[in-house]
Amino acid sequence: MQWLKKRMRLLLALVEALTGEAETVSYPKTELELPKGYRGAIQLDEEKCIGCGLCVMDCPAHGLELEKESKSVYKLTYYPARCAYCGQCERACHRQAITHTNQLPGSTTDPESIIVILKDQKEQEDSDE
Amino acid sequence: MDKMNIPIGPQHPLLKEPLRLNIEISGERVLGGILRLGYVHRGIEKLAQTRNYNQNVSLTERVCGICSHVHTTTFCRAVEALLGLELPERVHYIRALMCEMERIHSHLLWLGILAKHIGLEMVFMHTWHDRESILDVMEEMSGGRVAHAVNQIGGVRFDLDEDHGPMVDSTVKKLKVDYEELLDVIEHDTTLKARTQGVAPLSTDDMKRYCVVGPVARASGVDVDMRRDDPMPPYDKLDFQVITHPDGDAWSRTYVRLQEIRQSLHLCKQIIDDIPEGPISVRAPRKVPAGEVVMRSEAPRGELFYYLRSDGSDYPARLKIRTPTLPALGILPEQLSEIHIADIPVVLAGIDLCIACADR
Amino acid sequence: MAESLFYLLIFPGITFQLVCGWFFEWFDRKLQARFQRRVGPRWFQPLADLLKLFSKEDLLPSGANEFAAAALPLISLGAVLTAGVYVPIAGFSPASFEGDLIVIIFLLSVPTLAYYLAGIISAGIYSVLGGGRSLLQFFSYEVPLLIALSGPAVMAGTWSIREISSIQAEMGPFVLFQPIGFILAVVGLIGKLKRSPLDIPKAKSEVVAGSLTEFGGVKLAIWNTVMNIQAVVGIFLLVNLYSSWSGIVAPVLAVPVFFLESVLMIFVLSAASAVFARLRIDQLAGLGWKVLVPLALLQLLVVILMGV
Ligand code: SF4
Ligand code: SF4
Repeated sequence: MQWLKKRMRLLLALVEALTGEAETVSYPKTELELPKGYRGAIQLDEEKCIGCGLCVMDCPAHGLELEKESKSVYKLTYYPARCAYCGQCERACHRQAITHTNQLPGSTTDPESIIVILKDQKEQEDSDE
Repeated sequence: MDKMNIPIGPQHPLLKEPLRLNIEISGERVLGGILRLGYVHRGIEKLAQTRNYNQNVSLTERVCGICSHVHTTTFCRAVEALLGLELPERVHYIRALMCEMERIHSHLLWLGILAKHIGLEMVFMHTWHDRESILDVMEEMSGGRVAHAVNQIGGVRFDLDEDHGPMVDSTVKKLKVDYEELLDVIEHDTTLKARTQGVAPLSTDDMKRYCVVGPVARASGVDVDMRRDDPMPPYDKLDFQVITHPDGDAWSRTYVRLQEIRQSLHLCKQIIDDIPEGPISVRAPRKVPAGEVVMRSEAPRGELFYYLRSDGSDYPARLKIRTPTLPALGILPEQLSEIHIADIPVVLAGIDLCIACADR
Repeated sequence: MAESLFYLLIFPGITFQLVCGWFFEWFDRKLQARFQRRVGPRWFQPLADLLKLFSKEDLLPSGANEFAAAALPLISLGAVLTAGVYVPIAGFSPASFEGDLIVIIFLLSVPTLAYYLAGIISAGIYSVLGGGRSLLQFFSYEVPLLIALSGPAVMAGTWSIREISSIQAEMGPFVLFQPIGFILAVVGLIGKLKRSPLDIPKAKSEVVAGSLTEFGGVKLAIWNTVMNIQAVVGIFLLVNLYSSWSGIVAPVLAVPVFFLESVLMIFVLSAASAVFARLRIDQLAGLGWKVLVPLALLQLLVVILMGV
C-alpha cells in the first residue's frame, strides 16, 4: 500500500499536468512580454552627448567607435553586430546620453548594413553656439 | 569479452557542453575513461589583461552561462578590496539575493538534467518549469535572463523597486510549494533511487585528496561552504545550514542539492525581509592601486576563486579564475571505472560539470 | 480476388495500419507533451516528420553493408504489416486461422532481430552497443510475454485470436481473470516497442540512438513506420486477447469500444513512460527473470487450475 501511495505521487503530478493549462506558448503567434529593464540595441540622446568617449572606453566588445577630430568635430558609431548588450556604455556615460531600447536589430548576413551612426557632429553646428 | 573504446563527446546527446571522454568498455562494463578538455577555451584570463576593470565586469560575466552573477560578484569584490571601498549594505543584500536565486535555478536545472538522463522526461520538464519562475524574477529585476549585468565596481546597477520585493516574496512562496511537491516525488521515486543509489561512491578522504568543493564534496561528508567559512557580508547575518551527506554516491548528491534549494529559498526570504535602505553604489576610481588579492565565494557548484593582481594602471596585471568544476574533473576518471555504461550519465550529471567554466 | 486485395491494401491492411500508426504516434506525443505541460504537436506532425525524413539525404558510414541496411527495414515492415492483417479489428478478421496468435508473436519478433542486425551491419560503435542491448532486452521481456500471452489461449482452449476474442463474449473479458497476465503483457509490449522506461537499446544519453544511430533519410523513415505499426499491432493484439467486448456490447458499439480501449492502452503506455525512470540492463534482466517470469508462470498455473 505504502509503495502504491508513493508511486501515486508522480501519477498525481501527471494527472495535474494533464488537467491544467499548457505552460508553453506558440511563440510567433503569441506576443511575449519583455521585462522592464530589457537590454536591446542602444540609442543616443544627441542633445546630451558631448563626445567625451567614456562609453567607448568601457565598451567590452568594441561595439562603439568614436572618431574625434577636435572637441566639437566627432562621429560616434554603433556596431550592433559586435555589441554584447551588456549595458556598460549606459552606465559609463556621465551625461546619461545612452539608453537601451527593447528592440534588437534583425539578423543579417551583412553586419555592415546595420551599423548606426549615433552622432555626426560637424563644425557648422558648433558655430551656432 | 572484447574491449572497446567508445567516444563520448565533444558532441553527444549526453553532454550539453563540449568535453571528450574516451571510455574503455568491455560489454556493458566501463573499465576507465580518458578525459580531454579545452574545446571551449576562450582565453578569458589573458583577455582580461587587455581590458580595463569596467570592461572586465562584462567579461567575467561571460565565463559561465549559469552562474554568471557569482563570477561578476567575486570579481567586483576583488577589485573593491583592492580599492578599499566601503560598500553600502544594500549592495551586499542585492548581490546575495541574486546569488541565492542563481543557486536555486542552477540546482533545479541540474535536477532536470539528471532526470532527463535517466529517462524521466516529465520530471525534467516540471523542474525546468519551476526554474522558469525564478528566471522570470531575475529577468524582471535585471533585464537579462542569462547575463544579468547586476554588478558594477562599487555597487550594483539596479535597485529593487516596490514591485520587486513582493514579486520575489510571492515567487519564493510559490516555489516552496512546488518544491515540496517535487521533493516528495523525487524522494519517493523508486526507479530514480534505483538508478542513483550506490553509483560510484567516493569517500571523504578521496574528496579531500582531489580538493573537490561544493555540493559534490558536501555529498561525501566534507563540511565546506564559503558562505559560512569565508562569508561575504550579508551571509554572516543570515541564518542557513550547510547540508552534508555521508554517502558520496549519486543519490546523496541529489539529496544535498535538493536540500540546498530549500536553504536558498529560506535565504531569499530573509534577504527580502531584512534588506536595508540606502544607496546602491559608490563612485569607484578607474585606476586600481597596485597589489594583489584573493577572493572566494560560493558559486552553485562550489568555491569560486579569483586571484587579481594590479600594477596600478587601469588594466589588471593578472586575473586567475579557478572554477569549482576544475577539481571536480579530477575525480571523473576515478568515477568512471567499474560502473555500467548506463551509469555514465548519472555520474556525469551527478558532478554537475560546467565545462565552459572549467575551460574559461 | 478484389476482396483479398482490399483486405491487404486498405482494411485491415497497409492503409489502415499506417493511419492508425500515425494517429497513435500523434496521440502519444500529444499526451507526453501534456504530461510535461507543453502544448504538443499538431495532428499532422507524424506525417510531416515522415515527409521530412523522406526528403533527406540517405547516408551510411563506409564499411556498412548497404544491401542489408536497405533490406532490414523493409523486411521488418513486411513482417509487421503481415501481422497487422491477422489481428481482428472489433471482431472483424478476414484472414484468421487456427494458430495465428503464434504467427503474430513470431512476426512481431522479426523487427527486434532486424534491429539487432541493423546495429551490427551499420558499422557504428553505438549501433553495435545498441544492437547488443536490444538482444539482451529481448531475452528479458520475451519469455514472460510469451507465457503471459499463452494465458488467454489456454483459457479459451484455442490459438486463434478471433476465437479467443469471441469466446470472451461468453466468459467475460479475460482481463478480469488474468490481471497479472495483462500487466505482464503490457510490460512485455513496452519492452518490445522499446518505449521508455524500457528504451534501453536506444537510450539517448547512453548509446545515442542505438542501432539506428547511423540510419537516416528513407531508411529511418521506414524504421519509424515499423515501430509505429508494431505499436498498433501490439495494442490491438492485447485488446483482443484480454478485453474483447465485441460480443458483449451491441454491434454498433463494438467498433467505438474497440478503439476506445486501444486509445486507453496508449494512455497507459504513455503514463508508464512518464512515471518510470529507465532501468539499467542488469536491473531489467533481474526484473525479467526474477519477477516477471515467476509471476507469469503463476498466472498460467492459475489459468490451468481454473480450467480443470
Ligand atoms: S551595450 Fe555593451 S557591448 Fe553594446 S555598445 Fe554598449 S558597452 Fe558596448
Ligand atoms: S554617449 Fe556619453 S559617454 Fe559616450 S561620448 Fe557621448 S557623452 Fe560621452
